[in-house]
Formats: sequence, structure tokens, C-alpha cells
Amino acid sequence: MTLQNSFSRRRFLGQSTLVGAGAAASVMSLDILKSEAFSKQLKQKGKRVLLLWLAGGVSQLETFDPKPGRLTGGPFQAIQTAVPGVEISELMPKMATRLKHTAIIRSLNTKIGDHGGGARLMHLGRRDEPNLSYPDMGSVMARELGRPDSKVPDYVTFYTATEGRGNAVGQAGFLGSRYAPMFLTTGNKPQNLERLESISDLDHRERADLRRVLSARFTQGRVSPALGSHNVAYGRVRGLMSSEALFDITREPKSIQDKYGPSLFAQQTLVARRLIEAGTPFVKVSRAWWDSHGQNFETHLEMVTELDHVMSTLLDDLQERGLLEDTLVITLSEFGRTPTINGSLGRDHFARAWSATLSGCGIRGGTVFGSTDEDGQHVKDGEVGAAELFATIYAAVGIDPQHEYYVGSRPVPLVDSGTEVISEVLA
Amino acid sequence: MAEIGPKFFKEVKQISRGDILLRISHQASMQSVYVGSSDAKIYSVDPLADKPEFHEFQGHTSYVMGLVDTGKHLVSGSYDRSLIWWDKESREIVRRVEDAHDRWIRNMFLSPDGQTVLSVGDDMVCKLWDAESGELVRELVSHQKITPNHFPNMLYATAVSPDGKLIATVDRIAKIKIWDFKTGEEVTEFEAPKCYTWDPQKRIHSIGGIRSVCFSPDSKSVAVGGIGPIGNIDHLESPGRVEIFNVASGEKTHEFEGDKKIIGLVEQIVFHPSGKWLMAVGGKETGWVQFLDLEKKEVIRQIDAPMHVHQVAVTDDFSTVYGAGHGKLIVWSLVQ
Repeated sequence: MTLQNSFSRRRFLGQSTLVGAGAAASVMSLDILKSEAFSKQLKQKGKRVLLLWLAGGVSQLETFDPKPGRLTGGPFQAIQTAVPGVEISELMPKMATRLKHTAIIRSLNTKIGDHGGGARLMHLGRRDEPNLSYPDMGSVMARELGRPDSKVPDYVTFYTATEGRGNAVGQAGFLGSRYAPMFLTTGNKPQNLERLESISDLDHRERADLRRVLSARFTQGRVSPALGSHNVAYGRVRGLMSSEALFDITREPKSIQDKYGPSLFAQQTLVARRLIEAGTPFVKVSRAWWDSHGQNFETHLEMVTELDHVMSTLLDDLQERGLLEDTLVITLSEFGRTPTINGSLGRDHFARAWSATLSGCGIRGGTVFGSTDEDGQHVKDGEVGAAELFATIYAAVGIDPQHEYYVGSRPVPLVDSGTEVISEVLA
Repeated sequence: MAEIGPKFFKEVKQISRGDILLRISHQASMQSVYVGSSDAKIYSVDPLADKPEFHEFQGHTSYVMGLVDTGKHLVSGSYDRSLIWWDKESREIVRRVEDAHDRWIRNMFLSPDGQTVLSVGDDMVCKLWDAESGELVRELVSHQKITPNHFPNMLYATAVSPDGKLIATVDRIAKIKIWDFKTGEEVTEFEAPKCYTWDPQKRIHSIGGIRSVCFSPDSKSVAVGGIGPIGNIDHLESPGRVEIFNVASGEKTHEFEGDKKIIGLVEQIVFHPSGKWLMAVGGKETGWVQFLDLEKKEVIRQIDAPMHVHQVAVTDDFSTVYGAGHGKLIVWSLVQ
């Protein structure tokens, strides 16, 4: 199940109901006891994740793996960062001074070079399986880091541009729609979150009480995990309704609004910080669309400049609020871009040797893992794929990547068995 | 005497290379040309030699985006923000102006009297330099640094009118500014908004901009080139555009939109000395050359080029065109 339309309270409830007697019920019933102590411990630590999803495929050469002086390197220079010996693109002067918080992984080889397939892989951390719907990273984080009594949503995702939105997977899979994202596609605020004016607060509460009574009567003598999921979803509605203010950046001091700036990406990242601060365990802010087959350098001049500003402002903000230590900030795309420059001065899809970054929680800042050859055509050292990256992400926030869910009687590990974390980038 | 004209346009020779040739300047007294490359070097070469040899000028550290021959010196500008005056014989650096611009240098132009070198950069400033001494003479400042959608603006090209009185500058958001050469005062401003595509919904960034500018031989009109509105801004998938404005009135007198063969950016416009027709070059993955009749306001001829053409150098008699482009140097003839 994917949630590609704007969130609404009724839709949220509808989806919960639709879980039915399917896989979600099975996993909940079988897995909950096994993981309870583990999850409780994690949730108490208040770890959070903020994914900056750079949809369409950002160029590693114009960001975190520059190749100055090579024909494949393009026109941008490399600049020294605050970490001795580490250079990034001149388009990122602000991040260059903040790299002590960030680990760069320069050796991703994810093999899938189409948008749809690449995006699925980099959301799920693994390839699809015909008979099993895997949860995406956000749903896993919502499950493992979210709190049942939370008044805020567990998983919020922004994707306002229309291009590639269908590729930006938001699926709870076998975890059940309790962990599906609140998917915002229009502006910065969820639609239909507020209580209808025609219903008073008292009416709303009384309706909820009546529903509970009816549900309790219905479940007498029945075994219905689906109804349990349904009730959990209903129980969260009032909390979600009260979270509307979190999406309103005008409640931030003007100085903070000014620091982030006026672009949509900046504003949504500020909302994300507000959600993170309020306890939302996973927020994805999608910045589309980086697919620069023509005019790669102009596109990246525009968009990396924005990314550099937004990312550095976010890291500063999180640090000043004491949140960076517990918040993992990820930059990730479905793939990188070709070292070869085409006739339109563009770069095409390239999954063979590209980069991602991890900052903050659990990360050994200032490290660079892996390398590509002098033209950026192949991984030279430390080749890793999506599984290793996901294992590392989970480990960074304290989730054991070897943790297993049970779907029916089948154990399903968080990442493919045998996957190793990239320990070099972990604190 | 052999006739010269678009109908005789034909390829004489092409030389393939691994780099991208972005700029070209012709040595009037010789068959040689200078080309500026994506490998940060400049080369002098006689493309019509049996075995053309490329002689290097080393000094820049990024794409060479401006190249003018002052007679005494070759002057180059680069994305590395520096300007370099070269001894043409020894290929040694005579003078280097580091940080001539605060951002990328996009293009250069030599005034008709050969006394002033103009450079434009993404600091949105057009700078006038004494061609001999290298002293900064004047700065023209008024292009917006930030686009209306909060992204960096880019100043792509400049030109001086043949009578030496006016300067034109053009930017990404399709503004054309006309300046008084002597005083540096801004005289007027036009717009060619179809040359700039801002996509607020699908992809939330922009593409395009005015990439080329040229005054007519009588100095009364200014032609600009770029690309038309684009639906999918991942690609240069829209016809090239040429628009011509009357400088005095601001009236748009000509508008040429390419057909399905003329897709991509108009990288350069060159008027024939008669003022009756012009040549536009550019491309996307591959390129083209287009001849436009300014009296009939119609296309004279369109020819596919084997590469995206970034710049051409034309001999004074318009008999020969040297083209620099993606992976190729090419020589065309317009002689019967």
C-alpha cells in the first residue's frame, strides 16, 4: 500500500481499518513481546531521524565527491573542509565548515539506475519480494523509535513537487498502516487535520467514547487483531489533531525563519525540525527534482546552493537546541549522476559509484568512508550497497540491524542477513 | 570572385577531441584559432593543417569561458574567476587578475576599437578592463543577484555595439540591459521572458536564460538567443529562440522559434555585415547552425552540426566559420 495523496484524518482511519486480518496483524501479535524491552529502551532515548530525500538523483561530483582537474569533474572546484584532508564541492562552503558533524560515504554501488527501482531500493534498503511487502525506513523508525502514547505523528513525509512523487515510497508493509506516513504533498501543513467546525470538542470526545463502547462490545468473544490496529489508530487521532501547530513555522521566531530562508525546501525542513523537537521520530523532506540530463551544472548551481544552506542551517539549529546528538540527518537519493558529461552539459543516471551522508546521532563526524577512482567511474575502496547503508543507519540510532520481525512464523531481519554495518562511520 | 552565403554552407573539416571546446577566437592574420576547453587549457591550432597540432596555454583551473584576441595579447576568462593576459607567441602568462569576478566568469567581449575587454560573471557584474594594461576601468552593476524564486542569478553574455556606444548584458531570468559605454549608465532594459523557464510545481527549479547577445551592424538593434519554454526541464527539450529588439524604442521586431530540428540553446548569434541575415548556433545533445533572413523574417537554412556548438569564430569576409563544441572543432565554409 502506498500513500501518495495528501493526508486526511479520515483517510488515515480508513487505512487502519483496511489492515484487516493481513500480515500486519500477524507481525504485531508475534513480534511485540520479543521486541518490547528493546523498543522501550530505544524510545526512552528519544532518537530521531531526518531524511533529506534528494529526489531525481543528486550529483556526487557536485557535492560530496568532487573530482577537480578531471574532465569528468566538471567545472566546479573542490574546497577544503574543516576536516583536514577532506574536500567537497565549492558549491557547499557552509557544509565545508560543519563537516565535523558529518560522515560521507563515497562508495555506494546500488546497481539500479532507473528512478522507480532506485528509489524503492533506497527507501526499503532491499529489493522487493513478491510475497512480502517490506516497510520503508520511515516505518521501521516509527515502529522502533515512536511512542504509543505520543501526541505527535510518528512518520511525516513532505513531497511537494510532482515529478518523482510516485517513486518516493511511503509504505509500512508488513508492519501495518499504524506506521504509515503522514504524506504531505501540498504546502507545509496537513490538510483536514483540524476538527470540523460543525462538531464541537465535546461532541468529538463523546463520539470517541461511543465508538469505544461499541468496539468493546463487538470484540467480546472475538479474536480480532485488525480491530486492535483500528483502535490504536483512532486513539491517536486527537493527538494528531493537536499537532497542527507543529506545521506552522510562523510560530518560530523571525530570526529562525530568516535563518532557514524563504524556499519551500527550507521551510519544510524547519517544520521537520519542529516535528523532531516535539518527538516525531522520523521525518522525510523531499527536495525534487535533481534529474539534470541537461544543464547539470546550472541545476546544481541552483539546487546545491540551496541544499548547502538548508542542511547547514538545520545542523546548526539542531546543535544549538541540543538535538543533534539524538538526531540522525541523512542525505540520500535514488542514485548519483554519471561522471561522463553529455552534449547538453548534463549528467545521466549513475548507480555504480555515488555518495550519501550521515550527520549527528551515532555518527563519527568528519569521516569519509570509501572512495572512487580518479574519474569517479568506479568504486575503488569500500564498496557498499543499500543494505549496508541501512544497517548503518539503524545502528546509528541504536536499532540492532539484525533485529527480526515475524511475519506469520517467518523471521524477517531488518536488513538482509549477513549485512555488515559500516562501523567506520559510527561513533 | 566566388559568391558567399548561407546556401553554400558546408563542412570542410572536423577534428574530434575528448574535451569540450567552449570558446573560440580566430587569428585574423593566420589560419589558426584559439580554443578554450573544459580541461582548463587554451589551445592554438591550425585546424586546416594536414596534421593539426594543439599548442597548450596552461594557467586556468576550470572551464575556459572567455577568449578574446586584442592583437597584442590573448585574454582569457574562466569559471576559476580569473582573467589571464597571454603572450601569444610564447604562450606565457603576461598578467593574471585573480578573482577578477567573485563568481564564475561566463563570457567576454572585445570592444570594436580593441581598447577594452569586457567580462561578465555570476557576481552579476559586467567589468570593463583596459586591454593593454589590464586595469579595471568600470563596473556595470544592476542585474539582480537572486532570482525572484530565491536562487542565484547568472550573467551569461555581453556585447558592444559596432559604433562603440552601447553595451548589452543578458542574464538567466531573461533581462537584457543596455548601458552607455562611455559613462556606464544604464540606458534601458528589455525582457525576453520566454527564454527563462521556472517550474514551480513539477521540479521546482529553473532552466534556460538568455545565452547570447549581439548588436546589429548598424547598432540600432540587439539580438538575443536562448531556449523557449520547457515542459520537462530535465532536458533541453524546447526550440531555440532568437528575439531582436529595437534599442531606441524597445520594440521587439523579430521573433524566431526553432522547429523540431532546432532544439536546445542558441549559444551564439552573428550578424552578417549587410545586416540582412544572421547566423545562430547551439544545440542540445547534438547541435545545429541556423541562418535567418531578417527582411523576410524567415528561416533561410538549417543544418545539423555533429556536436552541440558552444561558440563560433567567423572570418571578416564571412567565408569561413570555425566552430567549437562538445568534443569537436569544426570548420565550415560559406563560399560557393
